[in-house]
Amino acid sequence: MNALLIAQNTFREVVRDRVLAGIVIGGIVLLAFTKVAAPLAMGEDLRLTVDLGLSSISWLGLLVILTVGAALVNKEIERRTIFNLLSRPLPRPLYLVGKWLGLTAALAAVAALLGGALGLLLAVTGHASYAMAITQAVYLAGLELAVITSLAVMFSALSTPVLSALYTLGFFLAGQWCDDLRQVATRLPSGSREAVETIANLLPNLSLFNMRALASGGDPTSALHLLLATGYAALYCGCVLALAAAAFESRDFR
Amino acid sequence: MNAATLAWGALPVVRRRMLVAWSVALVLGVGVLQLAAYTARVLPRPKPFEELAYYPSGRALRPAALGHDESMADLAWLRAVQYYGEHRQTDVRFSRMEHVFDVLTTLAPGFEGPYVFGAFALAQEGRDFPAAERLMLRAIERNPRSGRLAFELGFLYFVRPGGRDLTKAAEYFERAGRLPGGPPQATRFAAYTRQHAGDLAVALLLWDEVRLTSPNPLLREMAEREIKELQHALRTGRRDLTVRRLTTPAVLLK
Amino acid sequence: MNAQSPSHQPLTAASGIRPDPYRSAAPAQLACREAAVRIVGLTKTYMNPWTLKRTCGLDALDLEVHRGEVFGYLGPNGAGKTTTMKILAGLLKRTSGRAYLLGTSIDDVRSRTSLGFLPEQPYFYDSLTGLEYLEFVARLSGMQAQPASRAARHWLGKVGLGQRERLVLRKYSKGMLQRLGLAAAMVHEPELLILDEPMSGLDPFGRRDVRDLILEQREQGTTVLFSSHILPDVEALCDRVAILLGGRLERVATVGELVEGAAPTIEVSVAGFPLVEVPGAFAGTLRRREAGGTSAFIVEDPARLQEVLGWLLSHGVTVTSVTPQRPSLEQLFLAAAESSAFQAQGVRRQG
Repeated sequence: MNALLIAQNTFREVVRDRVLAGIVIGGIVLLAFTKVAAPLAMGEDLRLTVDLGLSSISWLGLLVILTVGAALVNKEIERRTIFNLLSRPLPRPLYLVGKWLGLTAALAAVAALLGGALGLLLAVTGHASYAMAITQAVYLAGLELAVITSLAVMFSALSTPVLSALYTLGFFLAGQWCDDLRQVATRLPSGSREAVETIANLLPNLSLFNMRALASGGDPTSALHLLLATGYAALYCGCVLALAAAAFESRDFR
Repeated sequence: MNAATLAWGALPVVRRRMLVAWSVALVLGVGVLQLAAYTARVLPRPKPFEELAYYPSGRALRPAALGHDESMADLAWLRAVQYYGEHRQTDVRFSRMEHVFDVLTTLAPGFEGPYVFGAFALAQEGRDFPAAERLMLRAIERNPRSGRLAFELGFLYFVRPGGRDLTKAAEYFERAGRLPGGPPQATRFAAYTRQHAGDLAVALLLWDEVRLTSPNPLLREMAEREIKELQHALRTGRRDLTVRRLTTPAVLLK
Repeated sequence: MNAQSPSHQPLTAASGIRPDPYRSAAPAQLACREAAVRIVGLTKTYMNPWTLKRTCGLDALDLEVHRGEVFGYLGPNGAGKTTTMKILAGLLKRTSGRAYLLGTSIDDVRSRTSLGFLPEQPYFYDSLTGLEYLEFVARLSGMQAQPASRAARHWLGKVGLGQRERLVLRKYSKGMLQRLGLAAAMVHEPELLILDEPMSGLDPFGRRDVRDLILEQREQGTTVLFSSHILPDVEALCDRVAILLGGRLERVATVGELVEGAAPTIEVSVAGFPLVEVPGAFAGTLRRREAGGTSAFIVEDPARLQEVLGWLLSHGVTVTSVTPQRPSLEQLFLAAAESSAFQAQGVRRQG
């Protein structure tokens, strides 16, 4: 219950932030641009719209996480707004969960908005058959953003905004290359192979949330893929938030 | 009450909570690893190279790279190499290879590795010499000052499957010897190739250059020996004296 | 009242003998039924993560605040007032010792259900309105949506911000934020209020309002623990006060005891600039002060006031007023510090 209150407040705070409005507008401008740039794409303009539209959700979401998410907890500590929350019957882990939930909800709203705009654009241009693939791709992008948000919340509970933004970005990039790392591992001698595989497994496997290659052809993915991605995101977020809670529990707010 | 319960009770509450949080993180972390492993088994392997193959042409892709063409090409390159290895071990089919290397080299025209690799993969394994030649000629066209590319093209002609093209090989070896970045042995290769192509006068000049410029004394000695032989052959008109050792069944003498 | 009660027993901290806080404590249940705040051997050391140097924020504090009383927590900056309050509010983790709020250990989040805490210089979310903020914190303290909304409106009006319901907090002045902080601390009608410098940043009107609020809370039986630098406020409000110095409790007393304990003086104001010289008989008792175009005599020993007045009148000096002087808070701190230094020496000699 209390976590939901924190989430609601965080959501309100983020949504009223000008950064978010700017980012949504930026995303829609980008979508419009793909249509303007259609002649440059040499007959590949549909693909360009879908690719850029979906990529913009991830990239703009990442931008929100790096600007807002990386400062989510440490800003509250620095500005002492947290004093008035933790001096109430609010367990610290629930506070973190609430912060994560609030930002994730805001990002989901952004993803839905941009995804809806993309779907609308496609429907208007006579590609309504893309709806399923786009919906699934937006859903997966939302899961991806939830995972990155959990990392940002963890880092922001332990570090300064700039550092936590850097750490989050590092995990995001490493997570994109997780599969490649695993492939590299198969060619290494045993010993270092296990080490690299472990690292690859600990990183968020973000390519699991990527079906943009499929979506750009209008093809939906399998239900199994969606199910596994959902489960993976839930477990990963839970694990990261538990780690954050462990570190946050003993923290002093001076 | 057993010892564990007693120890637990003696812990400060903060430590107890931290321990609980760590345990939750551990359990969920194990879940994450299991699920990741299961996912890797169940879901079809991502096909990064195929993804690349479905990209629009390099020219259409360029605007999407937002100025980071080089980095994007680097990423594409890593994936291309990886996938090449995979297909090499399985079906040895490189149907979309030319397109892929075209994408890559359009994004980063100065990125020399992919031309060389692509050309040799196309020629050797793809058994498509004309495609390889086209790729390398385009490379030279975009990088006229690159000694390395000239040398590699010379080498491609030299090892042409089904018959060497010594004249063209020698031409590019010579060019490589004059250009920055050309390997030090380029002139030697050129001399050698000229000699066996029957261009004894040119070969003589090239060997002389080796004698004067090579840092390796053994090579300089070798050059001197060859010069003597060539001079003898030119004086006596017995060209066969210098070419004899080097004739291989497939050499084309022009 | 058990033997731990600080008001009747010489303080363990001041007497220099520190008992084991765990062993000397009476069974928690027994004492807690009465105390609003019970602190036993509370210690906080801060460690610098880089130099690993330890500094002491709070040193084996024992303190008890009774239900329904207004308790002043005094001390110079860095004495450990805020540290104590933040440990009680769950913002700092103690190094050792125990503390209970209304009978519940502070380790339990439920101890904060009926706590209202005002941090020093409170800050809020810029983009919320005052009403939204109060609703939010009221619900965090366990209120349902409807009553929380009613209480938020009520308290916003009560601290004089009723006209500003829809104003976002970004546009609040410093004094308005302080008032909102008070409203946030009281919106859920807590049984215990912990207020860190509630008067700071307020103009005289604001201070009067806060004073009235605290008195009203006392009328309703709420326990108030607050820290302050301003002695008149403390005197006007507190039943008892504690003085903290360097992380150690120096004194717990009623305000009367505290003020009486310090050497009082009497100021005798006179008209004009009389041409008299303080005779040798009054050496150490009387001194003369000229300031701001007036002349006054300060009587250090009140017992000799009659004597001094007689001498002045006999010399034809016109006395305009006779005012007993209250010791300032600094003087009280200094007096406490002196006695503490004296005792520390005694302990060292014993050791």
